[in-house]
Amino acid sequence: MKNFRRFIRTAVLLTGVLMLSGLLLADAAQAQSSVRPPGQAAPLEEDSGPSNALGGASDADIWRQIRGAEDMGGPDLPAAPGRNVPLYEDLMRELQGGIAGGTSSTAANSRLIQMLGEDWRHIRRDYILPYAGWVLAGVLGLLVVFRLIRGKIRIEAGRSGKYIPRFSMAHRIAHWYLAASFIIMAITGLIILLGRPLLAPYIGKDATAIMASASLQGHNLFGPVFILALLIMIFRFMKGNFFQWADLKWILKGGGLLGGHASSNHYNFGEKTWYWIVVIVGLIMSATGMLLLFPWVTDVLAWHQISTVLHAGGAILLIAIALGHAYVGSIGMEGSIDSMLRGEVDENWAKEHHDLWYEEVTGKKVDHKTGAIAQANPEAAE
Amino acid sequence: MTEAATTAVNTLLAQTDSDIASYLEACVHCGECAEACHFYQATKDPKHTPTYKLQPLVKAYKRHKAPLRGVLSILGLTPPEVTEDELREWEPLVYDSCTMCGRCTLVCPMGIDIAGTIRKMREGYAAAGIVPEGLTRARENVERTSSPMGVTAKALLAQVKRQKAETGLEIPVDQDGVDYLAIFSSHEIMASPEIIGGYAKIFKKAGVTWTLSTAAYEATNVGVQIGFGPLARDLVKRIVDEAERLGVKYVIAPECGHAYGAIRWAGPNLIGRPFKFEVIHIVELLDKLRREGKIPPGKKDSRKMTLHDPCQLIRRGGVLKEPRRLLSDSASNFVEMKGAGIANLCCGGGGGVSANERAEELRLKAFEQKLKQIDDIGDIETIVIPCANCRGVFEDGLDEYESDYEVIGLGELVAETLRED
Amino acid sequence: MTLLEFVEGPFFYFSAAVFIVAALWRLVGIIRIGRKKDIAPARGSAVTGFFKGNLRHFFPRGLFAQRTWMHLLGGYGFHLGLFALLLFAAPHIAFAERLFGIELWPAMPRWAFIIAAEISFAGLIVLWVRRFSDPVMRLISDWDDHVGSWLTFLVMLSGCLALQEAHDSLRILHMGLVNIWLIYFPFSRLMHSFTFFLSRGATGAVYGRKGMNP
Ligand code: SF4
Ligand code: SF4
Repeated sequence: MKNFRRFIRTAVLLTGVLMLSGLLLADAAQAQSSVRPPGQAAPLEEDSGPSNALGGASDADIWRQIRGAEDMGGPDLPAAPGRNVPLYEDLMRELQGGIAGGTSSTAANSRLIQMLGEDWRHIRRDYILPYAGWVLAGVLGLLVVFRLIRGKIRIEAGRSGKYIPRFSMAHRIAHWYLAASFIIMAITGLIILLGRPLLAPYIGKDATAIMASASLQGHNLFGPVFILALLIMIFRFMKGNFFQWADLKWILKGGGLLGGHASSNHYNFGEKTWYWIVVIVGLIMSATGMLLLFPWVTDVLAWHQISTVLHAGGAILLIAIALGHAYVGSIGMEGSIDSMLRGEVDENWAKEHHDLWYEEVTGKKVDHKTGAIAQANPEAAE
Repeated sequence: MTEAATTAVNTLLAQTDSDIASYLEACVHCGECAEACHFYQATKDPKHTPTYKLQPLVKAYKRHKAPLRGVLSILGLTPPEVTEDELREWEPLVYDSCTMCGRCTLVCPMGIDIAGTIRKMREGYAAAGIVPEGLTRARENVERTSSPMGVTAKALLAQVKRQKAETGLEIPVDQDGVDYLAIFSSHEIMASPEIIGGYAKIFKKAGVTWTLSTAAYEATNVGVQIGFGPLARDLVKRIVDEAERLGVKYVIAPECGHAYGAIRWAGPNLIGRPFKFEVIHIVELLDKLRREGKIPPGKKDSRKMTLHDPCQLIRRGGVLKEPRRLLSDSASNFVEMKGAGIANLCCGGGGGVSANERAEELRLKAFEQKLKQIDDIGDIETIVIPCANCRGVFEDGLDEYESDYEVIGLGELVAETLRED
Repeated sequence: MTLLEFVEGPFFYFSAAVFIVAALWRLVGIIRIGRKKDIAPARGSAVTGFFKGNLRHFFPRGLFAQRTWMHLLGGYGFHLGLFALLLFAAPHIAFAERLFGIELWPAMPRWAFIIAAEISFAGLIVLWVRRFSDPVMRLISDWDDHVGSWLTFLVMLSGCLALQEAHDSLRILHMGLVNIWLIYFPFSRLMHSFTFFLSRGATGAVYGRKGMNP
């Protein structure tokens, strides 16, 4: 009761703060005057050209127009006088042949337009953007379906009320440290990636621009924090995460998610796979992210293009699995969250989900038919 | 609010001076202190976190005394009234799970004196009569005989007689016109009376005039342990009156940590005036005599020894170097334990915990930590402990864990290693 | 008046006034409770002890630091990073110079800002993670601890999100949160940034009187 009241108070205060900030943001987004060049931008020279030479259109709009305003989601601009609409396609066709232009840029491979960039743009826009949203929506849908069919995975024998230590303080800090920075990276990253198609139609371009600017700064800032957290996690959790024989059997039994029992050690096959995915994809994310953060490291454009593609793809993969991980670790399975909050788990939980580990740490044998049930303690159930 | 709760809260608030208030205000709930407390270390139970033990006081303070509480209470942000149930729930934490050792203060980034604050909390508890049985019994004993173990003047005289016979030395009793009045803790009088003979030997050698008194021989101050101010004052007053009647220049506090603090640091504040004599701890006195060359050391004891640092003497009393100087003259094979000195672990039985039977299990658990610290040195034969209460706790604990270290007092060791003429 | 002018003008002045008045009120209130004079003969100086205590508790003791080094690292990282950001971030100095109309110290370069921010965020996250995943911390923490951490986090975060300095609304968000934080500060445990001086000093003075140099 006491805790509940405290919780309510905290929640009310926090919501108040968040609402107020939301209001400020929304209100400010209304003001057209709120966009100015970045603080560090070089000042435009006064006489750099006739003002309004390009009409009311922004650079982006003009490029969009050159490209024929295909699927941009932007407003259809009236064709500029004297300009062919399929100009862009023609241009591309011409360039495919590899006409060498007189350019001094090595990066552009002495072409006027670097063709890879066009492929990259297509991959991003035709595959990554649409599928990213669908993959994440799909994972959420799957979780809902799973919940409806399988329900919450309970501790079958009930809680024993006795706890055995599972994760040390160092493990928990490593885990939550990574989790916290991951959440920040994921949210800001998704806004950067999907803000234009998903947010702009609803909150408008100005607000999207603001959120994108904020997310970009946040993403760049927390990137190194994420890398640090990742490295800590990799070392902390390496022990026990190498594959073992029991894992094969675990796979054959479908991990017990669909019912039945699958034996496992300290970590089961799913957790181990998750660990290695985080290690490998996380490191890729870190490397590609650092390259995007410090683009001058190389001037081979292909590296940058591959990086953005890998970075986006890896992000979607990690976020998708993280959703499932978070679900099973919290509301999806009774007793799981204890391991990361208290650092210890209920004995019966250990017997049911990590029997081999349980036997190892306690020196007792698990009898899957009667053992756990016989020792259930009804009073300990919440 | 029940009457007991009202009394307790009122006393707690009256005890909260600006020092205590700043402690309660400054705690950032960082939890560092847990790692320092032997009770938490031994049990890993979060409720033994030092700052958590203060909770009822914190609540009362925030509700009734903290600045800006008016604004906060309008918003409903002040804590509810402390209830008697709550006070009772916390009572074991206040009495059993704090030896007032002050170790947590060392690690606290805010420098919060939990021990001193617990002492004030006990005032509130004692005023409301919420006190563990063991301590109540000790208090009754004191009121009857002036000693928590029920040691009477007659018992003292009997021990004196025996020591006279054993040492063949004069042991003055109730003599005025001398320089020093020696007082003891009941544990010493009953369990290690050799120290009385030891004093006789040392003082004779140093040419120091001294006496015992049948009116004031007990140094243990149960009032301080329970947190009962009036009783603490009476006990101090008894010694002060007698010392001033005899006209001594010094009162020698015995090898008992909290008895030293009670008379040396709390004493004048309890009776509300400075003493007409000085209080000196026996270890300080021995060190002084040694440096003046009055008690030259003789053949050193060659057993492998280590020193336990009694919290109230070392950490909270400030007598840090003296025991070590004396030891280096008296022992040839002395080793420090890991973490020795100001941050050493408590034995687990100070602050009245050893007099409180309910706390026995917890105290023994805490002692296990201490024992491990000593086991880790390896091959120790003897532990020198300049505190009678710690010695008692050690003897109990060593017995429980079937360990056969020998436990001796520092005065005893000095007396044994005096240069023979 | 635009919203930006409001949060940087009247709203800010109001919050700053609340901050100063309430914080002083609270500090003076604590001191005014008073204490009895200690009449036990001193072995050392209480005043020296007061300051020594304050210095001494800035640093952990080796023996204990081994056990909670992660926490200590987080604590130092967060606080040092925060002070660097607060005092040396270019926009902060510009703001203060505009406010007081005097020239202040030079700002730190952008890379230093980024590093300070990284460190203090890393530290704050470690502290907060420990707060909700360690049984001891869960027991002793109350809503004030969490609100304080979150508000500070949001203030820092919004500040960093506005780093591009291209959108007024992000600046408004940051200043708005700063104002809320300023108002919350004196009523909460955030006050430890001032009360630590009193509590360390109190202990230091007692120890100083006893002639100790712990
Ligand atoms: S004073 Fe000693 S016993 Fe009391 S809480 Fe602090 S460390 Fe624990
Ligand atoms: S170490 Fe000090 S500030 Fe931290 S929780 Fe303990 S008493 Fe409070």
